Amino acid sequence: MSKTADSSATGNYRVNHLARGRTLRGLGLATCLALLLGLPLLVNEYQQFVVNTMVIYALIAVGFNVVLGYLGQLAFANAAFFGVGAYATGLTMVHLALPLPLALLAAGAAGTVAGIAVALPALRVQGHYLAIFTLAFGELMRWVYVHADAVTFGPSGFNVPRPAALGLLGSPERGKYYLFLAVAIIAIGATVRLLRSRFGRAFVAVRNNERAAASLGVSVARAKIIAFGWSGFLVGVAGGLYALLNGRVTPDSFGLAQLLLNFAIVMIGGLGSVLGSILGAILLTGAPELLRNFAGIEEIVFSLLLIGVLFFMPKGIGGLIAARIPALREPLHRE
Amino acid sequence: MLEVRSITVRFAGLTAVSDLSFDVGEGEILAIMGPNGAGKTSAFNAITGFARPAAGEVLFDGRSITGLKPDAIAALGIRRTFQNNGILREMSVLENVLMGLELSTASSMAGVVFGLPSSVRAEQEAVAAAYAQLASLGVSALAERPAGSLSFGQQRLVEICRALVSGARLIMLDEPAVGLSPMERLQLGEVLRDLAARGIAIVLVEHVQDLVMAVSDRVLVLNYGKKIAEAAPEEVRRNKLVLEAYLGTA
Repeated sequence: MSKTADSSATGNYRVNHLARGRTLRGLGLATCLALLLGLPLLVNEYQQFVVNTMVIYALIAVGFNVVLGYLGQLAFANAAFFGVGAYATGLTMVHLALPLPLALLAAGAAGTVAGIAVALPALRVQGHYLAIFTLAFGELMRWVYVHADAVTFGPSGFNVPRPAALGLLGSPERGKYYLFLAVAIIAIGATVRLLRSRFGRAFVAVRNNERAAASLGVSVARAKIIAFGWSGFLVGVAGGLYALLNGRVTPDSFGLAQLLLNFAIVMIGGLGSVLGSILGAILLTGAPELLRNFAGIEEIVFSLLLIGVLFFMPKGIGGLIAARIPALREPLHRE
Repeated sequence: MLEVRSITVRFAGLTAVSDLSFDVGEGEILAIMGPNGAGKTSAFNAITGFARPAAGEVLFDGRSITGLKPDAIAALGIRRTFQNNGILREMSVLENVLMGLELSTASSMAGVVFGLPSSVRAEQEAVAAAYAQLASLGVSALAERPAGSLSFGQQRLVEICRALVSGARLIMLDEPAVGLSPMERLQLGEVLRDLAARGIAIVLVEHVQDLVMAVSDRVLVLNYGKKIAEAAPEEVRRNKLVLEAYLGTA
């Protein structure tokens, strides 16, 4: 019954194949990193601001994808996680004068708490019910920002103090860029490791078949709580960065428009693809800037892009990459 | 090893299983047969935690597992397959088998996130164990394939692989021969006998007569949720009640 000869042959092939893939990927990553580090030398202050926005949205999209793509839950609390993070960083800097690193940790912590809070109903309801519930959660958070004005400064929002450290590299946008990039690389790197471990496998097993997952010893509840918590953490941290990017936090940044943009990025990037989410973020935050001079066309292009992707490439950019470039194919990719 | 003590399973007033008792020992293969709707799958679900018995008790190694959650029961060393595909279709064969190691992979969340060596090693060991298990059933060439793209027979083998890799001591198979070719059925039978020889207890629900007759030590027949026979395969074949249940009264 055992085919030893056969299996060792495929084993060797696999090892060589993997080693070559790993070297290629290593080279690719090193090149990308060098380009990213040198980027500020090539762009002006305004372009740098746009790039900074892209970095934040890449982190948001990867975080949203954990729940939407990997865990496969129709949860729309992403803008809420984002807002909670932005308020946590902004408010802890204003009220408690927390130093920047701690204020960002506060954003992560607040996002995690919000994520877990949303995971609890997700243990009971699914599909459209969960979608409605999470949408309501987002609106509730917005109501809190507006009405708890003793703490949150109400509907008009507040200014976030500008940390002096960010101006050390010549321009504030450049300082923010290196901070955002470092945070995003660490956070996305950790996410990739998490997704490739038994935790990521459990998320996808829950997405595929909850009963089968449970029969294998996966605690479905625990997998959901971890995925939502991690998603909330990433998006919360992105929110903290967003507070620094604009230097101002207002409630209307975290409404339906924000959620729709987040959703479009994940869908266009591809469910269950980290690389796709990053590319989707670059595309959808870059395109509006290019179209800024043509009034009204921004929304049209945005909508057409979303419709086009859903119709013609439902697996998004990530699916396209998986089909065309096998070396960049991600494990646990949504088929 | 497994003792089922007069369990009754009801759904909205309908009694699917009534007062069912049986035992399965180490290295034994018990087949549960019966016409459609006889309560075979319900009995399975009650044992593996997917349905709560209205009465009765299920013991594993003398310890009650009645009312435990499916994942807790899996953790005790009972693994099952599903009638309509318990395969994780969007995952590769390797990832499916790795899911069988979910509980024995000692990587912690912090360890994984920070890339700590102990967790990285635990993950690598799991991959090696999964490969070894695939090789022992002769299907390591399928490792990278999406599980949903396999034939039914291959999917069954992957499911069994996934159960075995966990070190399961009792494996419960719900209609494993559905959609299998005669050759694949033969191979499945051999795999099952081989497992039993290693001391693993097997309970299978099955319609396919040749498989049941070839592999089982004992056959239990259910009709309308009640046990109507439990005996060696040849005896059951001659049992009057069983013939009536399947063919009607003469």
